[in-house]
Amino acid sequence: MTNGKDNSLLHDLRSKCASLKSAAELYKDCSPAEKKEMLALMNAAAADITRLLAQLGQP
Amino acid sequence: MNKLHILVLEDDKLAQKVMSAQLAAHDAEVVGDLPAALKKIAGGAYDIGFFDLMLGPDDDYSGLKAIAAAAARGIYCVVVSSSDSDEIIDRAYALGARDFYAKGNEESNVADILRKFIQNRKAAGAADIFTSAFITCDPETRAAAGEALKYAPTELPIMILGPSGTGKTSLAKILHEHSGRDGAFVSINCSAYTEDLLEAELFGHKKGAFTGAAEARKGRLLEAHCGTLFLDEIGTMSLTMQMKLLKAIEERSFYPLGSEKPEKSDFRIISATLEDPQDLIARGKMRFDLFQRVHGYTISLKPLSRRACDVAPLLQHFTKGGRRLSFTQEAKAYLEAYSWPGNVRELKKFTDLLSSGAEGRVDLQTVQRHLKGRPEGIAAAACPGDDGLYAYALAHGLEAALDKVSGDLITRSLRENGGKRTRTLTDLKISTRLLYATLKRLGLDGDGEKK
Repeated sequence: MTNGKDNSLLHDLRSKCASLKSAAELYKDCSPAEKKEMLALMNAAAADITRLLAQLGQP
Repeated sequence: MNKLHILVLEDDKLAQKVMSAQLAAHDAEVVGDLPAALKKIAGGAYDIGFFDLMLGPDDDYSGLKAIAAAAARGIYCVVVSSSDSDEIIDRAYALGARDFYAKGNEESNVADILRKFIQNRKAAGAADIFTSAFITCDPETRAAAGEALKYAPTELPIMILGPSGTGKTSLAKILHEHSGRDGAFVSINCSAYTEDLLEAELFGHKKGAFTGAAEARKGRLLEAHCGTLFLDEIGTMSLTMQMKLLKAIEERSFYPLGSEKPEKSDFRIISATLEDPQDLIARGKMRFDLFQRVHGYTISLKPLSRRACDVAPLLQHFTKGGRRLSFTQEAKAYLEAYSWPGNVRELKKFTDLLSSGAEGRVDLQTVQRHLKGRPEGIAAAACPGDDGLYAYALAHGLEAALDKVSGDLITRSLRENGGKRTRTLTDLKISTRLLYATLKRLGLDGDGEKK
């Protein structure tokens, strides 16, 4: 059973993963400048995902 | 393409970037919190709003408040959120959202939403089709055709039901024109071909595939690539042919006759039939699986006798640009009360006949002279007290007028009950004897169609 905190973490996780997926699909069509900006945002999202996973694993 | 003015409410930076990229061809503004969104909504004129619901950690779906404000200003609200529980979806729609998508598939979803929005706006502004391409002032027919137009820009197959001459092909063309599909409108009347010829027409053939195939020929399925394939009188197709067509629809590929190389075609199906498809299935004349593939949205067109208000505008339309005619009140009333078994097509031919005649002013006698001897079929849908019915009674006598009314009501009930006589007996509270006597008198079969 998940509690309120877990629900919030899971929502954020789904949201970040979805954005990362959409960004990855879009990446190939970006200009070099956009790719650079996109990659930075994707890295930040990936870091957020790692952080959220860590929080989710905490008792 | 017209640029749309779009507002995006999204707190996540990467999601903002994704949405901005997807909306690059339009005039899009992106905000990250509720107060900024409400300010923009109050001060701007947006066509579409894309709304995330949870704005920041532990937020209580504050995006919903933006939906209510935007919907109140007539903005087409679309939710793109990771919060897609039934409760949240329900709340969003209740507040005025028009679409709800889970995040993660923006590449295809956003394009679909924009295409649908543009086509719907085009369809809404296409009210003039009812005074030009598809003449009708009958509210029921306008509503049905208007509803069908909403599905024009989708991939959904459309089935058009209605008697011969009611404008099924015209409507199919209009649906294609509003579909946004780049390909051609390709029409084929399935009843006009034998099974072998229909197969060659639909799938095409290689040179020498059969006797007489001197040249290779592209089939209609391939001609309809990226366009619309209109299958008229689909109910007349043999079961074997239905099976072959079903396979082609499912796989979007087929083999031309005599060819071992499959052809691919991305066609959208619109079909039409005079008969009740459920009845065709029950009688084993139509495969249920094919029906499932072709009946995504169904529209029924009423016979002209049940939309008498369309007779005058159609007469006017058919004489537009040519010799104009004038009709006396009695002539108009008679024409409106006439049954028009051939529907709009028959009215068109009748108008052509009058246009080439001697009299520019058409009176009751002229009309009666031209319509005399035609199979009158079913009586017009006139109500007691209608001028048309009164004119008919004056012309044919009261008994004949009453027979017309009873015949029409029984026929209509049978149609609406899918030919089930027991339901008609119950609905109209009539005896079996009266039902059969009326059908026999009018020369109608049990389904209410003329033999």
